[in-house]
Amino acid sequence: MRRGNGLPIVRAAAQARRWRDSDGEHIDVRGLPPPEPLVEILQLVGSIADGSIADCSAVIVHHDREPVLLYPELAQIGWQAERLAGEPDEVRLRLERCA
Amino acid sequence: MFFHLLAWLALLAGSAPVASFTDGLGWPLAALHLVTLGVLAMTAIGASLQLLPVATRQPVRSHRAPALIWWLYAPGVGLVALGMGLAQPRWLALGAAAVTVALVAFALLLARNLWHARGMPGVVAHGWTALLALVALLATALLLVATWNGAPLVARGTLLPLHVAFAAYGFMGMLALGLSYILVPMFALAPAPDERRQRASFVCAAAALALVVPASFGLAPRLFLAGAVGAGALAVALHLQLMARALATGMRRELGRSFKLVRFAWGALVASLGVALALALEAPIDHLGVWFGLVLIGGWLLTFLLGILQRILPFLASMHAGPGVRPPTPASLTFDRPLAVHFVCHLAALALLALALALENALLVRVAAAAGAIGAAAFALFYVVLLLRMHRAARAVPAPPRT
Repeated sequence: MRRGNGLPIVRAAAQARRWRDSDGEHIDVRGLPPPEPLVEILQLVGSIADGSIADCSAVIVHHDREPVLLYPELAQIGWQAERLAGEPDEVRLRLERCA
Repeated sequence: MFFHLLAWLALLAGSAPVASFTDGLGWPLAALHLVTLGVLAMTAIGASLQLLPVATRQPVRSHRAPALIWWLYAPGVGLVALGMGLAQPRWLALGAAAVTVALVAFALLLARNLWHARGMPGVVAHGWTALLALVALLATALLLVATWNGAPLVARGTLLPLHVAFAAYGFMGMLALGLSYILVPMFALAPAPDERRQRASFVCAAAALALVVPASFGLAPRLFLAGAVGAGALAVALHLQLMARALATGMRRELGRSFKLVRFAWGALVASLGVALALALEAPIDHLGVWFGLVLIGGWLLTFLLGILQRILPFLASMHAGPGVRPPTPASLTFDRPLAVHFVCHLAALALLALALALENALLVRVAAAAGAIGAAAFALFYVVLLLRMHRAARAVPAPPRT
């Protein structure tokens, strides 16, 4: 999401877009101010880990930058991240439980 | 870590002047600046270069500049401390020159980052004000050094309140308040604090700083200083309201020992305003200036910083464990026992210092400084073990790389 001047819109409300696809539960946190991407992603991971969201074992994250602070949080709960190919200016990750 | 320990040792060396409250160059002044320059400002440089890019969505453009800044800044701080401790104004001047060049370089790096900021206007506003306060702080510092070297260009009575206000509440304070809007919600896993209240707090804090200026130049000092304290109190009230909300609404409620220190520091911040008001109204209380320093620097800024550091350092170490490696968990990197020792010793040191000031007792100052030094050594041990575990993890068998 970009304004006409090329700067990304920063969403005021803490609402990440989510949808289910064949490869997992998708979450788009682009434009959210920190630390909301971290919070939203971990909430979703937590919901899958405790079974609140059924029949799902992976989260696909659509982010606008490398979420460096997410990785230690994932490690703490036994999850890991793998970088996927995505759109230009997008950081796309696949999150799943460590083997 | 090193300057933290040295600060308590310098206080140990200068216990008698602290107890009798003599002013001027000496080990107590050196101890104070080892804390402010060696611990607080040093960490502020690193923290702001690590965290402000998160808020501004701008990378730090130069990777070599922070290293160069460190190589100039660290020896400069050492020379400033030696110059103060041994009452050598020329050494102090040389050290101050090195520190000033390093901080100006840091200010330019930070300004460049803030100029292109694309998010979190409340945090960015705090960043800009911290930068302006840094300029004022450096100017007053150099003028004070000139005074010590026999060239009093501006009256010391004018410079000192400006120096203290812009150093503690301006530079360090604005960075602490602004970066808290990122750090506290991040630790608590809470939503970002309300942007309008952040900005309201910022406006009050900036007004408080501005009101110190006419007071320092002798223009209705009681009125302007009392006004500054009032505006500062409003800023702090709004800020702490946002912090309380983040802690109450976050996914993570148990934040451990680190946040006991942070809460203590917030209490000291409030108390510092009370002492500042007493100073502004020239209350007939002995050694108010020293009490102010203890509450402001020891109680608030140092305690806050140490609380935050012990929380964030394991996360930063995990992040930097190396590319292509499954990061070690922050918990696995943390050697907790020294942190428990530090917690007890740090708070005991502050309490003993307060008692020492009340009783004007040099022996109690020495005991306080010894407790502080043990705490600082324990904290340094936690940090060394963290680094060793991080390097060990980085040499471990790598996980499948992130492609």
